[in-house]
Amino acid sequence: MDSGRPRRRLWHVEGARTLRSVRGATIIAAFAVGIGLLIMLFGEPYQVRLAVAAYINLILVLGLQIFMGNANVANLAHPGFMGLGAYLTSIFAVPLVIKKTLIPNAPFGLGEVQLGVVSSFVAAVSITGIIAALTGLVLVRLSGIAATILTLAILVIIHGVFVHWVDLFRGTQAFYGIPKVAGIETMMIATALVILVARLFKDSRIGVQLRASATNMLAAEAMGVNIRALRLIAWVLGGVVCGIAGALYAYYLGTVNARAFYFHAAFLTLAMHILGGMRSVTGAVVGVALISVAMELIRHLESGPVILGAQLPDLFGLGSLMLGVIIVLVMCLRSDGLMGGLELDEVLDRHWKRWRRGG
Amino acid sequence: MALTVDNISKNFGGVYAVREVSLECQRGEILGLIGPNGAGKTTLMNLITGVSPSDSGTVMLDGKRLNRLSPRKRAYAGVARTFQNIRLFEHLTVRQNVEVAFTSSEFHRARQASRITIDRLLDQMDLLEMADRPAPNLPYGYQRRLEIARALALAPDYLLLDEPAAGMNRLESTALIDSVRFIRDEHGCGIIVIDHDLRFIMNVCERIAVLHMGELIALGTPEEMRNDPRVIEVYIGAQDNNGEAATPAPRPSPSDGETTVERPT
Repeated sequence: MDSGRPRRRLWHVEGARTLRSVRGATIIAAFAVGIGLLIMLFGEPYQVRLAVAAYINLILVLGLQIFMGNANVANLAHPGFMGLGAYLTSIFAVPLVIKKTLIPNAPFGLGEVQLGVVSSFVAAVSITGIIAALTGLVLVRLSGIAATILTLAILVIIHGVFVHWVDLFRGTQAFYGIPKVAGIETMMIATALVILVARLFKDSRIGVQLRASATNMLAAEAMGVNIRALRLIAWVLGGVVCGIAGALYAYYLGTVNARAFYFHAAFLTLAMHILGGMRSVTGAVVGVALISVAMELIRHLESGPVILGAQLPDLFGLGSLMLGVIIVLVMCLRSDGLMGGLELDEVLDRHWKRWRRGG
Repeated sequence: MALTVDNISKNFGGVYAVREVSLECQRGEILGLIGPNGAGKTTLMNLITGVSPSDSGTVMLDGKRLNRLSPRKRAYAGVARTFQNIRLFEHLTVRQNVEVAFTSSEFHRARQASRITIDRLLDQMDLLEMADRPAPNLPYGYQRRLEIARALALAPDYLLLDEPAAGMNRLESTALIDSVRFIRDEHGCGIIVIDHDLRFIMNVCERIAVLHMGELIALGTPEEMRNDPRVIEVYIGAQDNNGEAATPAPRPSPSDGETTVERPT
């Protein structure tokens, strides 16, 4: 090794700073997991199911945040990567007997393969990461609108492959028989870990450089920032996290259908991401929590409930309408989202300081 | 050891922004670049840093040809710059702004590990006290100083300052003179500085190049430039004897160099 030249330490964050990030992530995770614990202890079974769905969405939104929040490139492809995680997990984990009836003509000899729960998860998430890397190589050559349109194309292509590669993905028919091994506890642990990853990434050198390039590309280039390489890293990491969301989804429901990984999921999670604030990990938690609760309330309204003795009319489609309205309102009134780029720990520290100073 | 521009040209839609300009800045020299609005000063800086490609001519850094390198690789090679319309990283703190340049080039600019730390740079530019504030919250003059600190974090051999004194009051620009001299002495880099503030330029530069309509019309010491009839004719015309502009220095117009190469992000 030639002395004098420092080794490349892109991932390096100084001790004190890493500690701050971990502390911040812990506070955010405690908030996110705390809500789940309350629901677990006091909620009805259907509320627990809603919480699980919210956690899966949260992991998906965090996957979105890692790329979109740091690189500031709008992304619509994330449900595609979630779908890849879910389908690949299913293909590896479904017992051979069921698989023979589901996909008798499976290519690559996959019909004869059955992996354990953990191995299936690892294999599925790894392959999702590889596919993310391949698409990323094209994506990072583009910027702005062109990049966003490409992410849209990636979503459509992945969905097309699910629907038309019948031998492997069963087309429009559901994939079932996946071992239901994940409950709300698994979701909470996974969410906490993904929050930690997202926050560490945001505060790492890569994250800081990427956020710099997001605010001023010309200056970032002049300051030696390798924008393409950093975007690729964020894209792959984001894709992997989306894949994890998909794998957990499959292990919770036990059944997978391509419809779940298309535009509806894209817009739902995008609205959550935008409402909470794209630049903040806490924003992902806040956005998911608020919209999950709101969607549930709206689901009641849609079916025409009786309120104070008055029979309300059916309002089907109110949920989709509300998602659109949320995106429009946030974009017009507070384009930075509710958190505005701040993290929960930063907000708490600020209030703590003010309280100590002035009472 | 010099940053050399040889016979460089650039035209935008048939109009020469820079025409056959040859210029050299030695390491350790402070070279001024002046000229009326639209003279091609910022365009020349963009050609040196690779923001826009030149039509012809070469840019050499200590004998190494830079022509085909991207702005990023030129930063690694040793050219750093500031921007006329301040381009800080908005959502980051003062320290993080410097850190971006410091860490991006660490591998390529081995020297900086031993010579520069982020805190020292902030200290040198009087920014240490506000290191953890968001960069856009700084007073204007400090934002300009932060641009310089950020550029210095690349451990450049040549530093290009595009109107560092713009918008500064007399006190601030006087302090900036000391800072620029200090940077040269401390970091040993060659500095090319563009500004409309002639008092600032005349005081800080050892040599001054005058551009007019994209062409280099004069080059020499501040004293020579003050008495050069061509320079007086095109630029300093309305000026009294002690080097002060009698009319207020013209401010950069939106049509000035940099905005023409704006890229979508």
